[in-house]
Amino acid sequence: MTIVLTPPPEPKEVDLTETYDAIVVGSGAAGGMAAHVLTSHGLKVLLLEAGKKINVEAELRSMQWPYDHPRRGDAPPGWHALSLNEYNIRKPPYAAKNSAYKHVWSYVGGWGGSDYVKDILVDEKENPYTGTNYAWVRARLLGGKTNIWGRLALRLSDYDFKAKTHDGYGEDWPISYSDIEPYYDRVDTYLGISGFKEGLPHLPDSLFQRSHRLNASEIQLRKALLPMGRVATPYRAGVTTDGVKNKYRSKCFGRGACGRRPGGCDIHAAFDSPTGLIYPAMDTGNLTLRTNSTAYEITVDKNTGKASGVAFVDSQTHKALEAKAKVVIVAASTLESARLLLLSKSSQHPNGIGNSSNHVGHNFCEHLMGPGVTGLVKELVGKEHGNEDGRPGGFYVPRFRNLKDKQPGFLRGYGFEGSGGKSMFPDSTDRPGFGKAYKKEVRDYAGAFINMGGFGEVLPRYENAVSIDPNVKDAWGIPVLKFDYTFGDNEKKMAEDMATTAKEMFEAAGIEIIGVDRELLTPGWSIHELGTSRMGNDPKTSVLNQFQQSHDVKNLFVVDGSSHVNASCQNPTWTIMALAWRSCDHLADELKKGNL
Amino acid sequence: MSDSRWTMTRREMLGATAAALVLPLLESRPLAALTTRYNFAARVFTPAEFALVDELSDIIIPTDEVSPGARAARVAGEIDRRLADSLDPPQVKAWHDGLRAVEQLSREMNGTTFLKSTPEQRIAVVTKMASSEDETPGSRRGRRANPKSSIGAFYRQLKGATVRAYYTSSIGIHDDQHYKGNVYQQGDYAGFLPTDHLQ
Repeated sequence: MTIVLTPPPEPKEVDLTETYDAIVVGSGAAGGMAAHVLTSHGLKVLLLEAGKKINVEAELRSMQWPYDHPRRGDAPPGWHALSLNEYNIRKPPYAAKNSAYKHVWSYVGGWGGSDYVKDILVDEKENPYTGTNYAWVRARLLGGKTNIWGRLALRLSDYDFKAKTHDGYGEDWPISYSDIEPYYDRVDTYLGISGFKEGLPHLPDSLFQRSHRLNASEIQLRKALLPMGRVATPYRAGVTTDGVKNKYRSKCFGRGACGRRPGGCDIHAAFDSPTGLIYPAMDTGNLTLRTNSTAYEITVDKNTGKASGVAFVDSQTHKALEAKAKVVIVAASTLESARLLLLSKSSQHPNGIGNSSNHVGHNFCEHLMGPGVTGLVKELVGKEHGNEDGRPGGFYVPRFRNLKDKQPGFLRGYGFEGSGGKSMFPDSTDRPGFGKAYKKEVRDYAGAFINMGGFGEVLPRYENAVSIDPNVKDAWGIPVLKFDYTFGDNEKKMAEDMATTAKEMFEAAGIEIIGVDRELLTPGWSIHELGTSRMGNDPKTSVLNQFQQSHDVKNLFVVDGSSHVNASCQNPTWTIMALAWRSCDHLADELKKGNL
Repeated sequence: MSDSRWTMTRREMLGATAAALVLPLLESRPLAALTTRYNFAARVFTPAEFALVDELSDIIIPTDEVSPGARAARVAGEIDRRLADSLDPPQVKAWHDGLRAVEQLSREMNGTTFLKSTPEQRIAVVTKMASSEDETPGSRRGRRANPKSSIGAFYRQLKGATVRAYYTSSIGIHDDQHYKGNVYQQGDYAGFLPTDHLQ
């Protein structure tokens, strides 16, 4: 088997004396999509990424056996990943500057295989934050978190976009599903997604490439859920299983073991922003890429009050530089984008650019995690197993709460991600005892377990917010974010229900319950931060219009998860990209008309 | 980035140690006899400790009719490597103390050192250690009751480290588990979906 992948294109020379059509800040899912769409319209784009460009294939080594690695996948001595306990017993910043560790990462570095992400996750020592407990996972490199994302690719529906109409809480989005549906289709086609059509109104189907198979325990669960009106569908993966027209990407070969590490695909069958969006955009000749560029301010034209460009420091030399453009597109990730807007204070924009509403940083929401269940399928004990993890993911149980029913204790809903089946490291090593009997039990029970964990919608609330902490600075001298974020009663009630229904579904499938998790994980655990610059029709209560364009500054756009009006309970990446595509189409049109 | 959060082994997910001190790299101790035997120089364990861990790990995962055990998979060496790399003095101390406690228990039960005891006597010691530990399977995140005794706590640590080292070894993955993944699949790979079972 030979996979031939094209090496990245040669970068264009960066010319900071030029006024570009657009500057995009951030190269993850949102920034990559903005670069792709704007360059396809013929615009000259400068893409700024704070992190470096790394040889990601050499980093990920997706198929390396643990025993072929000198430390079984562990990072070098002196690197430390934060544990759940550390997030809960202390307040941030979690890594003191004088910490005895050489480098400290977020908890994702502790999943095993930490050597494969040590150059992808940020060093917490260089990137502190303050305030309330929060597990903030960041990846600063070309492509951002798309290099290691979990690749569950879901659509939102009008249950999400029109949630206020449905239950009276919060605000509706200024768009409907019908506005974004054509853009979901484009994302599906351009990037590839695998899954199985279910025809659910609350989880619209994508234009799927072939799905993977459910394992025996998962089929057992699926069959038990159907009469309950619930569904266990194959994991909808942002992975191309039939291939896409892109010379930088391969289709999936079901090589498996994708679940044993924090993520990443060294043949790029799983979507990542560099190979999926940025390299093809560079091939148009319209994209200039500058990595190692940490933006700290959106500059403003003193006469017009409009954005004039971006001030940034070279991440390696710490030299202050500036780039100019007709339009500025912020796509630095939900929290970093809020930070950049709030840092961009001027006489015209004293609260930070685009923040006349005082809503930037507020309505911060995400998905809560923690509750879930582990079970044993007794019928599978002692059975032969084939290749059961040669696939991008396990299964997904879409939301079923507060659709037609109305729960007394909480608003909105949650879904579950889970998997069963045999994996490289047996899931059966918790068996009691030792010796030959234990060893046989590990063999017999391997692959007989199944588990799932919930992702629940955290309600957007104005008081859940981030702001600038003027007293603490990062390694580049830039003031950091301060968190003021807690779960409320709705989240706690929802979490109780998640544990209850998780257990009830496994019991319905005749799966023996091994353990039920009820406690919430630290906020941030889902890595699905959203809100902070929400869209809306009213400039007094929202930051952006329906095209992710600032109400205050018409040549400023924020195209990442910041713009989401609520979190829904579906994973956000596919929606981020569909929205960014729609907004950038509009932007290109407006720019050509001279309206920006 | 979601699926792996649930598919990682339940114990491993929160496996990061809480201790936060660093000590200078521990002095390597030459191991004439064992170096010859294992082509390996232990960094944390003394020769006697290494031999003890080697035997304990092979009692926990012995050779059986299917596959070689922990000794053949060089589990003790991997435990020593990981311990040395942890730069975590409390953890290193816990192992030194734990191994001392095993010897103490052996002298109480068998009147001699662990390695001088008969195979049956050695198993009796490990059985005693295991009986001090609550092995009720945990939930996904592996919360279990705190160990009832220090020897129970050490047994938990010893078994966990043995399991991790064994099932990430070539013997563990291939000879014992017959793991069939981590290969390129042609055509309709194992993930291919015949839709019949989904209806």
